Amino acid sequence: MIDLQRLRAVLRKELTQLLRDRITLLLIFMMPLLELFFFAYAVNLSVDHIPTAVCDLSLDVRSRDFIDALVASGYFDIAEYAAGEADVIAALDEGRVRAGIVIPPDFAAQVARGQGEVLIILDGSDTYSVQAAYSAATAIAQHHALDLMVEKLRRQGQTFELMPVESSVRVLYNPTLDGLIFIVPALIAMLLQILTVNLTAQSIVREWELGTIEQLLATPIRPLELILGKLLPNLIIAAVALVLIALIGFVGMGVPFRGSVLLFLFLSLLFAISGLGLGLLVSTVAHTQNEAESITSMLMLLSMLLTGFIYPREPMPAIVRLVGDLIPLTYFVRIVRGVVTRGVGLTLVWQDVAALAIYAALAMYLAARFFHLRLD
Amino acid sequence: MGLRIWAVMQKEFIQTLRDRRTLLLLLSIPIIELFLFAYAIRMNVDHLRTVVAGAEGAECYAYVQALEASGYFDVVAYVDDQAEVIRAIDGGRARVGVVFPPTFARDLQRGTAQVLILVDGSDFFPAQTAYGMAGVTAQDYGFSVMVERLERSGYDTRFLHPPLDMRMRILYNPDMSDLVFLLPGLLAMLLQTQTLVLTSAAIVRERELGTMEALLVTPIRPLELMLGKIIPNIILVILDMLLILALGTGLLRVPFRGNVLFFFAVSALYLLSGLGLGILVSSISRSQKQTQQIVMVVVLLGAILSGFIFPRYAMPKWVQMVGLLFPLTYFLGISRGVINKGIGWSVLRPSVLSIALYVLVVLGVAVVSFRRRLE
Repeated sequence: MIDLQRLRAVLRKELTQLLRDRITLLLIFMMPLLELFFFAYAVNLSVDHIPTAVCDLSLDVRSRDFIDALVASGYFDIAEYAAGEADVIAALDEGRVRAGIVIPPDFAAQVARGQGEVLIILDGSDTYSVQAAYSAATAIAQHHALDLMVEKLRRQGQTFELMPVESSVRVLYNPTLDGLIFIVPALIAMLLQILTVNLTAQSIVREWELGTIEQLLATPIRPLELILGKLLPNLIIAAVALVLIALIGFVGMGVPFRGSVLLFLFLSLLFAISGLGLGLLVSTVAHTQNEAESITSMLMLLSMLLTGFIYPREPMPAIVRLVGDLIPLTYFVRIVRGVVTRGVGLTLVWQDVAALAIYAALAMYLAARFFHLRLD
Repeated sequence: MGLRIWAVMQKEFIQTLRDRRTLLLLLSIPIIELFLFAYAIRMNVDHLRTVVAGAEGAECYAYVQALEASGYFDVVAYVDDQAEVIRAIDGGRARVGVVFPPTFARDLQRGTAQVLILVDGSDFFPAQTAYGMAGVTAQDYGFSVMVERLERSGYDTRFLHPPLDMRMRILYNPDMSDLVFLLPGLLAMLLQTQTLVLTSAAIVRERELGTMEALLVTPIRPLELMLGKIIPNIILVILDMLLILALGTGLLRVPFRGNVLFFFAVSALYLLSGLGLGILVSSISRSQKQTQQIVMVVVLLGAILSGFIFPRYAMPKWVQMVGLLFPLTYFLGISRGVINKGIGWSVLRPSVLSIALYVLVVLGVAVVSFRRRLE
């Protein structure tokens, strides 16, 4: 059914077009590298050293202790001292600080009476900082308050161990909650999808738009051979890019790779094929390169938001999760987190692998059907 | 001059309106984005799937109950030992594991009990939440055990409460709604992306199809051509912005605290920077494919480096510098300032002036490179 000679002819045309345009080729490889690089260094998922304004109206031992406890936690950096609550709010308004601490006058006496009250003001226009600051401040204040209470009870002659339970929390696979370990494996998956989908959609839609697809189909070449001839070079580009970004991510940036490299490469191939299939589907829907671009950038956004790439999927409504299930990245993000980060084998990720295989087959089949429909 | 610009505008309008599908895509994408942000994105994770190992006796179950009562942990299974807990986390069936030592009840009496909490570190937000909340609930539980014990020993615990209380006030966004925070950023992002994509696509397309030369042999001047092509895009983008703003503040009830007119004025200035960038991109790239690649990089890097999702102060200095290349970085502070905080010109003056300067530079460079490209 497939004639190798004709396939080779299409391949030669594609490769010539690809290699002729050096700048585009360079861009194709540079884009993922740039993104990997900046993403890795810009994305600081665990926010600490939040610039903070302090207004200490008390200036006694207790207030100093409390501020020291906040600073020692590493979450708050004192950026400026303010004279009053209004100044703290002004600093927040102007964006100089993201958090403010107001300690009322006579703090030590209030604490002695058991009525100490601290005001923490947070910048609610910045969710990331606000969440980090909120939970850090809560935990620190609770801890500090318990310490004070225990100290008081001790003074009253209570001798037994006052905090009877201690919990030690161990974060598996990523003991220091390092942002790079979270982001790099998923980012590599994301870049691979962008590359395969965009290249495929773009190169086929271009032929449609310029009308050259009719010329190609007027030759003895069959549609299937044409599609294969278009997909194979893209697969090669994707493979080269994958090796490049994986080397930079895992070797250059030192992100640990715990599982089997061979398994990862094999599953990446499956994922790349499903990406090609999705790109092919996009090309059958889009009429112009502009439309293809709109659809692929939409897809990119959906992939960023819905696949578990950054935001967790658990809290999403079921219908939104379902939309995410239509994107191959959803399955592959779980696979890379399993194979790369947790170091597990096929036995623990087989469901997602099976889903991905079905996805790839279905996408290819549907795309081929639509392609024929559009020709008629 | 006005007449010739008008002619080009008419041509652009007809081309845009004729292509219903593209128009539909253009208008619907931002709306879909808005609703996704409104309903899909939750950074707070709760009800984390939790497995428990070695739970024996009332003390352990009391502790587990305290964990569940916090709302952050849902116990999905009880297993025998730590190895099984790790297997459950490896397989992705659980995010958190709680391991009690066999001597937990006795240790609790002596006041030296230890619980091991294992957290799946392969996914960020669940790990962060579990990490923080496990410590807080353990402390809470310890406190209740302590109070109970003091009561038994005859201590009057009615006045026993932590001597320090914390009031937390979250300015601009008291309910910590993710949408309130994201809407201004989304608007800023949208304005940049749409202007950039539309402008560069419009110009490169003419060039690739060879119609650019055809247009330029008419009496029209390059600058007029550019303006004519750009104005319809501006109108489209403004339409998009109004739509998002109306839906966001009306339907989704995000408060708009500042001056709407001031916001529109600065937005107009900001639009020019996106246009300049678009012309610049189109004059350095040779095909739609290249344009698309460059635009993609600008959009993605803009989203990452501008502070749209991740705060800029947490980035290394040199990354912050690179972020200054994107107009989004400047406008984000303005958009959040006006919409969330309700501040105006007096506070935002430096940012507005930065955008103005940016517009001057980028438009200047763009016009020069567009001219050179034509020759």
